[in-house]
Amino acid sequence: MRIKDRHMWTFFVLPGILLLVLVLGFPAITSVLYSIKPEQASGGSYTFSQYSNLLKDPFFKTTFWNTAVFVSLSVATHMILGLAIAMVLNSALPAKPLFRLIALLPWVVPDVVAGIIWKWMFDPIYGAINDVLLKIGLIHSPMEWLSNPKLALFSVILVNLWRGFPFVMLILLAGLQAIPRELYEAAAIDGASKADTFFHITIPGLKKMIVVALALDIVWEVRRFGLIQAMTQGGPGVLTEVLSTYTYKQYFQFFRFEYASAISVVMTVVLLLVSLPYIWMISQEE
Amino acid sequence: MKPKSLIAKDAFSKTIVWVFLLAVVLYCLFPFAWMLSTSLKTEAEAFRIPPTWIPIKPTIDSFIGIWVRKNFGIYFFNSTVISLATAVLSTFFGALAGYGFSRFFFRGRRFLIGFFLATQMLPGVLLVGPYFKILSKVGLYDTRTGLIIAFLTICLPFSTWMMKGFIDKVPDELDQSAMVDGCSRMGIFFKIILPVVSPGMVATILFAFLLAWGDLLWALCLTSSEPMITVTLGIARTVGEFRIIWPMLMAGSLVGGMPAIILYVFLQRLLVQGLTAGAVKE
Repeated sequence: MRIKDRHMWTFFVLPGILLLVLVLGFPAITSVLYSIKPEQASGGSYTFSQYSNLLKDPFFKTTFWNTAVFVSLSVATHMILGLAIAMVLNSALPAKPLFRLIALLPWVVPDVVAGIIWKWMFDPIYGAINDVLLKIGLIHSPMEWLSNPKLALFSVILVNLWRGFPFVMLILLAGLQAIPRELYEAAAIDGASKADTFFHITIPGLKKMIVVALALDIVWEVRRFGLIQAMTQGGPGVLTEVLSTYTYKQYFQFFRFEYASAISVVMTVVLLLVSLPYIWMISQEE
Repeated sequence: MKPKSLIAKDAFSKTIVWVFLLAVVLYCLFPFAWMLSTSLKTEAEAFRIPPTWIPIKPTIDSFIGIWVRKNFGIYFFNSTVISLATAVLSTFFGALAGYGFSRFFFRGRRFLIGFFLATQMLPGVLLVGPYFKILSKVGLYDTRTGLIIAFLTICLPFSTWMMKGFIDKVPDELDQSAMVDGCSRMGIFFKIILPVVSPGMVATILFAFLLAWGDLLWALCLTSSEPMITVTLGIARTVGEFRIIWPMLMAGSLVGGMPAIILYVFLQRLLVQGLTAGAVKE
């Protein structure tokens, strides 16, 4: 029955595919070609010199390292806080929708808005955070959250925790709700401890959602741009510079298009490698 | 009856849970409260030491100022037009492709699904350079149309995936019986599937809208003149100014974040459904 108009798939799928190839595939390939463009304007063969320049660039190394720290700490804290809140929200609790609504707000506002609010809160003199910490006596002199070289990256990560945990919470909450209650009841009757229940029912039941949340969150944090751009623009120096802000600078401040392309290609390869298990898992289910 | 120690333990863990929840609520909401408080202050009060928590003499001058003294009206208009166009276009093409993936089992289907998923992972910075050059060449740099095209690259993969999730939930028997009645595939899609999944379409449009509304990178790279820039870029530019007028910037941020918050509050359930059922399949 369904076989009859089999060819009709082209009518539905092709417009989307063509559009994607045109607006996404074509520029993506252009970018790869930029990165291996011959150095002389006329002639010359394609070259990987931009990539070897990357290895010689100390700022690139710092940026790469910053990105690794930023992404791994962000994702780890998102997972921990996201799971904790999801578990609390999954238990019998009054006003659950209200709590979920509140917890999702940080994720809804634009990156720039989130970054700017926190930049203002972090202000050493007029900001709310130092004011609170001074009043309760946790610190004795104002902290330079975003300009102290030792603190800046961690301050940005702290803001990104606020910004990013809701998404993980949402995914994990959906996963928790899909775990049958009977499993927990049975475990309770058998006298299983809270830790046992967590490691033998909750975590295995969440496995798939954890993979999904991990993959998407890693990808999103690697690409995170507006938040950092609004708060520090990568500064002080290059201490909060990540790959996305660094590429942007190379493109639009230094106009080194070939070099910027090379950075973004490296970023893309990393992202595709990281998300491969996720893509594989999902497409195998189809 | 439970022994006394257990009851005490219960009460104790309950208290812990509530303290934890309270801390989470505070963590989530405090920045918004601070933004609101600052936006209602005069500039002089915003620079008081120590800062006041509740404005002494609240004023809505900043909220007027962003429209009168700054071009917030233009930014707002641009963001709305661009995000809406992007959302509708990507949801329409996403619904088409989503239906195709949901109902047809053709050769290469799995590969194409993988392709769609992979395109979700590409970083924007891979594309902004070529976009800048190409759009400049065809005269679309610094135009709303140019940004709409660019935003399709972020939104279309997500929209397709979300719409496929919603369409998967509609039983195939519906299509079959319509076909027996002599309905064509296109007829089925437009007259049966789209109406059935309209809540899903709203969710997808909303999600694409939020993606486009929240962007900074593309707006920063592909627009420059005041009449063309978006709310997010307008706000970001204010931060770069020599002297930041914080109450005004906070008022701008509040207004710039408002559409997202309002849409979200009203359509929360739909969006959560879409994200967990479409973007993330069960």
